Amino acid sequence: MRRRFLQTPEAVAGTAILVLLAAMALAAPLLFPGDPLRIAGPALTPPFQDWALPLGTDRLGRDVLAELFHGARTSLVVGLAAAAASLAVGAVIGTLAGFAGGLADEALMRLTDAFQTVPGFLLALAFVSIVGPSLSVVVAAIALSAWTGPARIARAEVLSIRERDFVAGARVVGMHPLEIAFREVLPNALPPVLALSSIIVAQAILIEAALSFLGLGDPNRVTWGGMVAEGRTVLRTAPFLSIVPGIALVVTVLGVYLAGEGAVEGAAVRKGLS
Amino acid sequence: MGKHLLTVESLSKRFHSGGRAVAAADALSFHIDAAETLALAGPSGSGKSTVARLLLRLIEPDAGSIAFEGDDWLALQGNALRARRARMQMVFQDPLAAFNPRATVARVLDDPLRIRRIAPRSERPARIAELLERVGLSPNLAGRTVHEVSGGQRQRVAIARAIATKPSLIVLDEAVSALDVSVRGKILELLADLQRTDGIAYLFISHDLGLVRAFAHRVAILDGGRLTEEGDARAVIDAPRSAVGKALVAATPRLHRLTGQDAS
Repeated sequence: MRRRFLQTPEAVAGTAILVLLAAMALAAPLLFPGDPLRIAGPALTPPFQDWALPLGTDRLGRDVLAELFHGARTSLVVGLAAAAASLAVGAVIGTLAGFAGGLADEALMRLTDAFQTVPGFLLALAFVSIVGPSLSVVVAAIALSAWTGPARIARAEVLSIRERDFVAGARVVGMHPLEIAFREVLPNALPPVLALSSIIVAQAILIEAALSFLGLGDPNRVTWGGMVAEGRTVLRTAPFLSIVPGIALVVTVLGVYLAGEGAVEGAAVRKGLS
Repeated sequence: MGKHLLTVESLSKRFHSGGRAVAAADALSFHIDAAETLALAGPSGSGKSTVARLLLRLIEPDAGSIAFEGDDWLALQGNALRARRARMQMVFQDPLAAFNPRATVARVLDDPLRIRRIAPRSERPARIAELLERVGLSPNLAGRTVHEVSGGQRQRVAIARAIATKPSLIVLDEAVSALDVSVRGKILELLADLQRTDGIAYLFISHDLGLVRAFAHRVAILDGGRLTEEGDARAVIDAPRSAVGKALVAATPRLHRLTGQDAS
């Protein structure tokens, strides 16, 4: 399975990027101990001038490379946590709707429609500005708009799975409907839902960056979006301050997409679909 | 009422497809006694599986009554129904579809023991091994997933699951149709043994009159949701009176050979 997964070149590239990113995130406190937001040198040192500060410093004299490493932590944490939360919420709601049917299905799916019609970023923006910026609030805000996709897919899967004999078998044994839904049906409905995870992780990273850019990120953490926003004021004189975290974002999102694409393709090969 | 294990009266169920109502069960009445096998035979689409699903409350009838072990079976709801389900079990046609694709043999058998609180957690592995042995399987199979065992073994696991709750009636919905002939004979022997030792009654749903004649005490022939004839299995199959009965007998080429074997 793993060998198949790594056969496609995009999967190899994506996985390499993600491994690098994870290594950066894990190594950040070791390579750059202490607060990455402290002043490390003269302000606005350009990159590749001082080898103690390879990527230079920003407006306030903070080490850009240290910020970049610590920012990787935020991006990964937010991406993974928001994806996990939205997949969990979506799978549960989709399973309940599909398995219960009738009025419950109708009510839950209209709720899903309601959330889906509001642009995700707007919803996150509104939520964070009301509750206040902190990492967990940002994660919740992103999950708030991202759970609808998994919910729809889970419901569609559950609708077909619930007609299968093994569900009838579980009823005959006298299993409680909730246990049937979550122990028998839900695990079998998961694979296509999980295929969404790479898209959600990538979207979450971008939404977090956008929120930080607008100043609604967690102020106690370095974020790539926040770095872009910081650099914006000196865009003409020190464009690298915006370009470096921008490139990091692009590469990360690309890596997540490629790895996700590779995983889906690997699954399709296993099933003999391609 | 009361003297039969199961009494079904004027059971009706209509399905609506494309604006047309199709009667899958049309005023059906029959009964099953304890430790008896009633076969339900009929061509495809005659409503055999619908009857099975109605009896097990997997679908609800439009009209009629079912009395099971002296109770109004259709009046049971929720927890009361789940508790009483222990007494009426089912074995499905396709043993692969009848189990959660992720389940192991042990989990399949653990479910009824856990849900019906038949054995505390610590005793369940021993009970599972015991059940496997009763259906002629090695207890070593417990750790395998249901997909890893053969079709015949899988159907034995299904029977083990059905007898785990000590039922008085098991509905066998084409339970041996998907198995090859040699395995089929052994499974039928196992079922007959269980009937002798535990007094379990069967509703044996099949389109194969050769099997019905060999296995069932009585047969009811179903066509278009109606019972066309009912009686002693050998008597009905050797001399069917209804047109459907005659057609079914004519469509069973192996019947003559089976009859010949019986006579010798």
